[in-house]
Amino acid sequence: MKTKITELRKKLKLTQEELATKVEVTRQTIISLEQGKYNPSLELAYKITKALKRKNVEEVFILN
Amino acid sequence: MEKKKQAIWRYSFAIIIILTGLILNYKNIGKEFLNFNSIGNWLIYIGFVMLAIVTLQFISGKKRIVDERSQFIGMKASRITYVAIILVAFVTMVIDGIKTITIPYSQFMSAFVCGVVLVYLVSYKILEKKN
Repeated sequence: MKTKITELRKKLKLTQEELATKVEVTRQTIISLEQGKYNPSLELAYKITKALKRKNVEEVFILN
Repeated sequence: MEKKKQAIWRYSFAIIIILTGLILNYKNIGKEFLNFNSIGNWLIYIGFVMLAIVTLQFISGKKRIVDERSQFIGMKASRITYVAIILVAFVTMVIDGIKTITIPYSQFMSAFVCGVVLVYLVSYKILEKKN
């Protein structure tokens, strides 16, 4: 799964640590998500979308 | 608050182990166990190690976050460990069938438990890098 987390996070001037704290996960999880190594659950995907101030999950996560 | 509660439980458990060790030593029950001159001494040693670990964890003050990724990795590592246990049990049965294993049960089980923990930790670390 491709993600736009890095791009959107940088737009909001958020660090990986800050985003991780916002969505209550570890920084390592954010790194894995950004690298596309880990596919998040629906709940986490929604949390990240909300933290990145987007309305739709599809704006952040793109299915290959 | 949660951390404090957890620490109290762990401290209580360590103290119970130490007390059990002292009682066993006092009653002179159990001799020669895993290179310790009594089971009591071994329990006292484990109790103090536990006290040290709990104190270090409490002092460090680091909040351990368990998120869905770590749970996912943990589950996969558990599955690998489970398969490893079955394999080791099978190999042990075969070896015992060929030539009877004569090492004491306590020694065998201590090595087995260490092996299980090691397999879990190694598989966890590898999976953590992959996922």
